[in-house]
Amino acid sequence: MILPIELLIALVVWGTLVGVDLVSLPQMMIARPLVAGTVAGAILGDIPTGLKLGVVFELLQYDILPVGAVRYPEYGPATVAAVATAHASDGVLGLGLGALVGLVTGLAGGLTINVLRRVNSRIVHAAAAQLESGDPSVLARLHVGGLLRDALRAALVTVFGQVLAWLARPLLGGVLSVRGAVLLAVAIVATALAAGAAGTLRLVGRGPNLAWFAAGLAGGLAVTIWLR
Amino acid sequence: MAAVKRPLARALLRLFAVQGSYNYERMLGVGVGVAEEPLLRDLADGKYRPAVARGAHFFNAHPYLAGLAVGAAARAEHDGAAPDQIERLREALCGPLGSLGDRLVWAGWLPFLSGLTLAAIALGAGWIAVAAFLIVYNIGHVALRWWALKAGWTHGTRVSIALHHPVLHRAVALLGPAMAFSVGAALPLTAAYLSAPFESWARVALAIVAALSFLAMRLRGDRIHGLRLSLALAAVALVVGIIWP
Repeated sequence: MILPIELLIALVVWGTLVGVDLVSLPQMMIARPLVAGTVAGAILGDIPTGLKLGVVFELLQYDILPVGAVRYPEYGPATVAAVATAHASDGVLGLGLGALVGLVTGLAGGLTINVLRRVNSRIVHAAAAQLESGDPSVLARLHVGGLLRDALRAALVTVFGQVLAWLARPLLGGVLSVRGAVLLAVAIVATALAAGAAGTLRLVGRGPNLAWFAAGLAGGLAVTIWLR
Repeated sequence: MAAVKRPLARALLRLFAVQGSYNYERMLGVGVGVAEEPLLRDLADGKYRPAVARGAHFFNAHPYLAGLAVGAAARAEHDGAAPDQIERLREALCGPLGSLGDRLVWAGWLPFLSGLTLAAIALGAGWIAVAAFLIVYNIGHVALRWWALKAGWTHGTRVSIALHHPVLHRAVALLGPAMAFSVGAALPLTAAYLSAPFESWARVALAIVAALSFLAMRLRGDRIHGLRLSLALAAVALVVGIIWP
């Protein structure tokens, strides 16, 4: 299914805003997969799919602690691409294909962040003498240039994700059996849950917070069983 | 008072983009210089440009708390502190601001609210949970940025007083357990929510793969992480799915 052009434009604009929010401006957490996926779902008129993929990528996000200059995948625009892929396919097939497209887009997004930082480093290094003059216009030019480059990077990652979404449906949707689609979804959802648990335990550590984690886990399990 | 408030407001707005030119050479330095510049405009002619240049030197910290360094350095420039003292102040703030911000936000406030949101979605709250997450998170986010800038501007070179504020330490002490509890509770609820569309054999497979993946990430966390493992297992599932009709 080819999305109408106005929806594609809306997704690319949203993916770009999400990509810029991750590091550059304003870090209000629209880059979190939960938010990126839900709004992408709303754009497509399919909020449940947006929520579901948002949850999958939010769990994967727990694997990352963005401290210092650490390198990490970019799951915001990735979730937008995942939702666009899943929207056109039914049920479990959509979940698996969407998550796969999102993972590849997330990997590509992470690589572009590293490239952008290297480019920024070269530009700042070249302008070192001008910066030492204390000219505020030089500062503003370097800074705005960095912001614009990040916006361009985020837009390119989002477009890349949308192209993958467009390719994945006819290429993989047609050859995957129902069992294969389920296996794909199982593989990605399972690793997302494992990444969520492992990432959280890294944050929690072995101190007193571990008891709180265990208490939460027990409470969550009790509610899950009770609701069944 | 109004004469001070306007530059502070400008600095705050610029702080939202403090990582806009993030790079491996000066890290947040250029962004910090841009944010500090409105607070330096009323310095005497011979002091303004050297102060702007100092502001753009290497700096790295948590972005939400960078305002503390911006305010403190600008205040120190106004108070006539020696240039090397201001440089030392900035250097001394990098570690504590990074560590405090990471514990308070990245390992506290953010995963705490994210865990609550995941649980709420799994329980059927839908997009309203996501909207509530955005609003509540950003109340804390904006308040922290504003407090940091104002505290830095108020205390100048004695900014360590602000870093020892009891509310900050109480928040870190509370958010650790709250985060652990909320994400712990969210995990089983989320597992049930995501596995709902699967048949029973697929749910068993999901539990086995999740358990093995968790073990792999715990035992070989240095080499195996979520993205790498997800892609590897997805590739295997794709191959199996194509050759096994």
